Amino acid sequence: MTTTIHTTPRLARRQFALSGLALGAVALAPHAAKAQGSATAAGPAQASGPIVLHGVSPRLTVHALDTYHGAAATGLRIDFSMMRKDGQGYELVRSVVMNANGRSDEPLLIGDSYRPGDYELLLHVDEYFARKQAKLPMEPFLTKLPVRIRVASTSERIHLPIQFGPWSYTYSRGS
Amino acid sequence: MTGITTHVLNITTGRPLTGVQVDLYDVATQPPTRLNSTRTNADGRTDAPMLAPQAARSGHFELRFHVGDFFKASDGLTDVVPVRFTVMDAAQHFHVPMLCSPWFFSTYRGA
Repeated sequence: MTTTIHTTPRLARRQFALSGLALGAVALAPHAAKAQGSATAAGPAQASGPIVLHGVSPRLTVHALDTYHGAAATGLRIDFSMMRKDGQGYELVRSVVMNANGRSDEPLLIGDSYRPGDYELLLHVDEYFARKQAKLPMEPFLTKLPVRIRVASTSERIHLPIQFGPWSYTYSRGS
Repeated sequence: MTGITTHVLNITTGRPLTGVQVDLYDVATQPPTRLNSTRTNADGRTDAPMLAPQAARSGHFELRFHVGDFFKASDGLTDVVPVRFTVMDAAQHFHVPMLCSPWFFSTYRGA
């Protein structure tokens, strides 16, 4: 694991301010960090996770899992776009790269940015498997994987787990 | 058999989704070119293949499943589910099923 993520003081304070579940997650952190070879790797990843954030402000979060390797899709690039006001195509909001836990460091949308609308996540799975030097028995079926979702109500959070391999994927509304 | 076929199933009922509009696009062109548009039959399949065996070719394609028309759930996760995929060998058959509910979508290269 070469990815190193630094915990900011702001995030650390937010974690301690949260529920008992959050404290439980922090207590588990040394084990996760040991496994990942970094003392701070678990911090920000937990901060965008569903359990730690239960009860806090609504947001859109994503979690990408690589079912071919049975691992978090660390390093997967996702282009996150919003449908244009005229409905003609999508406009890039930003590109994010999945961290050690397969999440984006920050929610895709939160606070004022969490608005109703149609969004697209474009997963660069071809680039991801190529970088992992995955030995595929044949050329992959999936290359650029578009996932479209609608935020209908901003009073509820949307967690979006995506499980993908070179030949299949599943996504759903999580919590 | 070659070409592209599909099958749409409703995982909340365990039944086929009948009457769902399914489009096939060639996404190698800009903008994408619509090659076919049809609706699923009583078995959740299309009466004819989305891409007929005689039209089979390699390329980059996208199936679009218009599930929103069917589910009509106001909080459904999406109206249209695109599935973009690559046909690298036109001699092979590409069966692309869609298993879904208003909040869950799953697809894979089938046979």
